[in-house]
Amino acid sequence: MATTETQAAPVATNGSGDELLRVDGLVKYFPVTRGIIFQKEVASVKAVDGVSFTVRKGETLGVVGESGCGKSTMARCVMRLLDPTGGKIVFDGRDITHLSRAEMRPIRRELMMIFQDPYASLNPRKRVGFIIAEALEVHKLGTDAEIKKRVQELLEVVGLNPEHYNRFPHEFSGGQRQRIGVARALAVNPKLIVCDEPVSALDVSVQAQILNLLKDLQQEFGLTYIFIAHDLNVVRHISDRVMVMYLGHNVEVATRDQLYRDPKHPYTGALLSAVPIPNPELGRARKAFVLEGDVPSPLNPPSACWFHPRCPRFKEGHCDVVTPPLYDFEAGHQAACHYPLEHWPMTEEELRHPTAPPLSPPPSATTAG
Amino acid sequence: MSLLEVTDLKTHFRTDDGIVKAVDGVSFSVEKGQTLGIVGESGSGKSVTCLTIMGLNAKVNTISSGQAMWKGKDLLKMNSRQLRQIRGDEIAMIFQDPMTSLNPVKSIGNQLIEAILLHRDVSKRQARARALELLKAVGIPRAERRIDDYPHQFSGGMRQRVMIAMALINDPDLLIADEPTTALDVTTQAQILNLMTKLQADFGSAIIMITHDLGVIAEIADDVVVMYAAQVVEQAPVTNLFERPHHPYTWGLLGSLPRLDVEVDRLVQIQGQPPSLLNPPRGCRFHPRCPYVFEKCKTEQPTLDPVSHDDAHLQRCWLDEETKDREAAKLTHMGTAA
Repeated sequence: MATTETQAAPVATNGSGDELLRVDGLVKYFPVTRGIIFQKEVASVKAVDGVSFTVRKGETLGVVGESGCGKSTMARCVMRLLDPTGGKIVFDGRDITHLSRAEMRPIRRELMMIFQDPYASLNPRKRVGFIIAEALEVHKLGTDAEIKKRVQELLEVVGLNPEHYNRFPHEFSGGQRQRIGVARALAVNPKLIVCDEPVSALDVSVQAQILNLLKDLQQEFGLTYIFIAHDLNVVRHISDRVMVMYLGHNVEVATRDQLYRDPKHPYTGALLSAVPIPNPELGRARKAFVLEGDVPSPLNPPSACWFHPRCPRFKEGHCDVVTPPLYDFEAGHQAACHYPLEHWPMTEEELRHPTAPPLSPPPSATTAG
Repeated sequence: MSLLEVTDLKTHFRTDDGIVKAVDGVSFSVEKGQTLGIVGESGSGKSVTCLTIMGLNAKVNTISSGQAMWKGKDLLKMNSRQLRQIRGDEIAMIFQDPMTSLNPVKSIGNQLIEAILLHRDVSKRQARARALELLKAVGIPRAERRIDDYPHQFSGGMRQRVMIAMALINDPDLLIADEPTTALDVTTQAQILNLMTKLQADFGSAIIMITHDLGVIAEIADDVVVMYAAQVVEQAPVTNLFERPHHPYTWGLLGSLPRLDVEVDRLVQIQGQPPSLLNPPRGCRFHPRCPYVFEKCKTEQPTLDPVSHDDAHLQRCWLDEETKDREAAKLTHMGTAA
């Protein structure tokens, strides 16, 4: 993919020496086949289509986007739970894109994951002690007695009673189960933890407990997180940098403050304005810009800019013809839009009518000139 | 007279371990054209309250008492035939999970038509026209073609719209929405909330909105009921509640919410777990988790009383006004500072 290669370049240069993970033009297509004996590939679902980013040691990268934008597929590719179709994943200075299962094994203990559903991600037939110890046993990290001690330590670290070692998952509430999930991820001292919507299934009060826990653990053990969520409030609270995904692409990358203070991509703007504000006066005074329709099918994505069918700033003959590259704004702030937002917040009228000229001229203008 | 007036509603379930008091003396009223928000954690009795009003709890091992006056008649005293006539016609409900509340083997058109034919004496053709009209009203693109599709052919947001269309199809006077947007993305949530307020303006229905998201409450509710452990702990018009929350539990809920308009390093967390309703704590039910607890809280249960200077604002807490003013001011300052 030529376009994504060029897009990847500025991101890669951003990473300093302490970058832990670099993803360059990651692509994952799922084939759609027809036929029973002779399977013919008739189409492909472009779940992730050229995503590039870096994660530095000790930081939290938030990833936001609607359902079906490829957040989870991207995470699973990074974890090598799925084999990427293209692109490159460099973890801790080592290219892990094409490592075999056996070669991946020692690296697996440095990459852990916390899953969304605390009810489905713990084996109901195993005791909590076993669930947390399993990774330690697989990687042969200690004798039985040492492992047991470590597990009890971990239970304490995540705020559970170490004596609950022998209990089954059903004896815990949703929030406590998610703590078990966190303890399991921490067990082998990983370098990177991928959190795939870890608080989406929880009540607000429990959500606050888990978010605080994740922040505390990060400070204590210097952890690095990729934090996937669809809740922009949660992402803002926990992230240092944020990446916004839409239909398998990253449309905007920025530090947290840049993104929430001064979003550039109209999609980010639409997401931000859709978040309910828990303040009746402010919330009702502001007019939310509501994005119409659903995310298009990744089976047959729109041409050029992927967002153009839903975009309030869509310009015919430009946005549907020229794919926007990731334009650079301030340091570390990039967005893929020809007509970026001039300021924020803005009214719906301002959102619909860009005042500044496009960052690159439409093709008709270049041919005429 | 209020459209719906619930007084001292109690729902107890008999289980092998004892009696679970899922709703324990809840009172509120809903006016025509107004939106009542009910907030609380999972297991605080929000949904059971509404299921009891609708008569949807299993009859076996359920004990309900109190009153739910609907247009002058008590819903709790009605037999199932009378209730069936009201449900889906005068009172409609939107359930939380759009994935499981539609029948997967019937086309959505047929499910909508069924809802009309049960309550209206119209031909199938007229019913179909009405179904189509509603699908358009809730913003399903190409409704003419999609009316014969099956639920699995729709996305989550689209299914929730179908559920809303079904709930509104007989112009209900009251719409009970049980976490209608919890499973959805922010953009879809904004679409659904806009739709609900627009339809409320068009049809003049009252809405009971159950949610645990205070952002949604601030956005659409007129009055708010905060529930904790099967009881109402605070009840107020929406601006009063957010301006001057009176109960430590409400403070906890507001503080635990990460929000775009406020910068905090650490979220306030409510310690511990909600209590078991088999054997709720003595005294104030919130006292084991309350940071302001003192002796009286542990022995005597506070009553739901109006606060001084504001009769519409009810709260259930022993704490003195002065401490409350100070603590609530901290929270609201956070909100206005940004």
